[in-house]
Amino acid sequence: MANIKVFSGSSHPELSRRIAAGLGTQLGTVVTTKFNNGETRVEFGESVRGEDVYIVQSGCGEINDNLMELLVMVDACKIASASRVTAVIPCFPYARQDKKDKLGSRASITAKLVANMLSVSGADHIITMDLHASQIQGFFDIPVDNLYAEPVILKWIKENISDWKNCTVVSPDAGGAKRVTSIADKLNVDFALIHKERKKADKADRMLLVGDVKDRVAILVDDMADTCGTICHAAEQLISAGAAKIYAIITHGIFSGSAISCIDSSRFEAVAVTNTIPQDDNIKQCSKIQIIDVAIVLAEAIRRTHNGESVSYLFNNVPL
Amino acid sequence: SFCLHPKDMNHTKGGLVIFTANSHPSSRELGKRIAERLGVELGKVQVYQEPNRETRVQIQESVRGKDVFVIQTVSKDVNTTIMEMLIMVYACRTSCARSITGVLPYFPYSKQCKMRKRGSIVSKLIASMMCKAGLTHLITMDLHQKEIQGFFNIPVDNLRASPFLLQYIQEEIPDYRNAVIVAKSPASAKRAQSFAERLRLGIAVIHGEAQDAESDMVDGRHSPPTVKTTGAIHPSMEIPLLIPKEKPPITVVGDVGGRIAIIVDDIIDDVDSFVAAAETLKERGAYKIFVMATHGLLSSEAPRFIEESAIDEVVVTNTIPHELQKLQCPKIKTVDISMILSEAIRRIHNGESMSYLFRNIGVDD
Repeated sequence: MANIKVFSGSSHPELSRRIAAGLGTQLGTVVTTKFNNGETRVEFGESVRGEDVYIVQSGCGEINDNLMELLVMVDACKIASASRVTAVIPCFPYARQDKKDKLGSRASITAKLVANMLSVSGADHIITMDLHASQIQGFFDIPVDNLYAEPVILKWIKENISDWKNCTVVSPDAGGAKRVTSIADKLNVDFALIHKERKKADKADRMLLVGDVKDRVAILVDDMADTCGTICHAAEQLISAGAAKIYAIITHGIFSGSAISCIDSSRFEAVAVTNTIPQDDNIKQCSKIQIIDVAIVLAEAIRRTHNGESVSYLFNNVPL
Repeated sequence: SFCLHPKDMNHTKGGLVIFTANSHPSSRELGKRIAERLGVELGKVQVYQEPNRETRVQIQESVRGKDVFVIQTVSKDVNTTIMEMLIMVYACRTSCARSITGVLPYFPYSKQCKMRKRGSIVSKLIASMMCKAGLTHLITMDLHQKEIQGFFNIPVDNLRASPFLLQYIQEEIPDYRNAVIVAKSPASAKRAQSFAERLRLGIAVIHGEAQDAESDMVDGRHSPPTVKTTGAIHPSMEIPLLIPKEKPPITVVGDVGGRIAIIVDDIIDDVDSFVAAAETLKERGAYKIFVMATHGLLSSEAPRFIEESAIDEVVVTNTIPHELQKLQCPKIKTVDISMILSEAIRRIHNGESMSYLFRNIGVDD
């Protein structure tokens, strides 16, 4: 009977440790370093022959290096005769390069390229969270479990925002409407969204708030926050529309460039972000950032996958 | 001459377009030279890294129906280089390019081409990824192991730098006829011999203590397993234990006394073994020591070690950009091989035979 073996790449060892702890085990030994010439070096320190292997690597930090490390680790496991190799990728890299935006665009659908690369390396299964577009599941020929952060987000809202029963859940753009309405329905509250009105070429785009936030607690929800231009701008708008307090809840907190200082100087009460991407440095720089732990969700998904149990329980419930 | 007029380039209806997918300006130098020799402009493309470190490639001209050549040189950021190339290739494929030829003078991860303990055969992984991304042909130079050609299911042209290096020896080393070609370990003996035959010189091979530690770790899965406790082995199995390898003291097979020593190899990266070999050769009476290698990776402290060593000159080709290393160490000299790459591109685009480029290349080269 195959055992669960969890290994971590270099992108987020803290989350991997938590996942292993959640499974009642320890991380397996693996050396992940680089040679002097910049090439990735991977060597497993224990046998994986016949085992059910889970490799945890998030698409963050030095993305190309971490992606290559993941591919090399998967390949190494496969040729060391692992029974099954699952790549656990909390934040999927290149998820925003998932389509050709304009007509005649010569861009690469890099998310599809990444899916091809993972298949070629030998991954049998992918576990990820809050994919930017769930269609990315279709880029793979192997099973993909796209977990939701929604249940833990709902739990966080109920435990940390005292006035949540009177709040309004807001989407910073029209694309996030589905996500936001799902949360609003489960909390039985109203929702609103911010809509970009494209004016003529020489005038700036105008942001319009559709919905009511006056004298309410407004909770902005989005799947990714990179430069944070969008959410900080949205914060200004919500304040000027009369919101009493504003919060932001983000699944993947990329926070590149001056994002953290942007948030620090904003009017947010708190910005809650999951730990799909390491946030230790960000917490030190900005006290408004709070962490929502998703290790339990990932650990439970791994346990259920290993035991052949249904994973759909996780789409609506937070594991104990 | 190998230069071509622009109007001759449109043999196929679509014509050809040459891109470099490197984001580093120094890595684009070779691509620029090749394009100059072919008399074309490099294709317009923007390659950069976004704030969150994702690579973005934006091709700014049409590639529909064209023969695309993507020239990619390896920088210190190997994984980003590979990602840039893959994204570029995939973008060309989904934009209806007629064919996509990768020109990678140095093939990355070529040293990780064997099974090592519980490691990965990364060059096979990269080969699979490139083919899956849409590459239809690969041009490379002096592959670390020729068998890497078999990792691909597309045609691979493994060009040789040796004619250029041999020419350098004959033109730039005044008393080369008094030289001995040296292999710093038995692994490079074949290459040393093919050089020596071409120049009608003798060879010498160094063997012993100062061996590259890597070569022992090739397959750490000892067969049979080295177990200390006899209880683990079934009493009826009399499998003899493998005696651990002991390195003999350094021996130089061949005479270098009173001669110039020319160490030849395909890659010069970590220079410890080269420096040690130079010391040995000096002790055995060589009065000048050259190192000739195709690919000058020269990572981290290599330039400093070379500068302080007994090596007189290190000659590498421009398959890998090394301007920074040259500034740190004036002993490093460059041989330009853009000519053979541009000729290969021209012949592939025109559907001509490539055998001219491989004339006089021996079996061992």
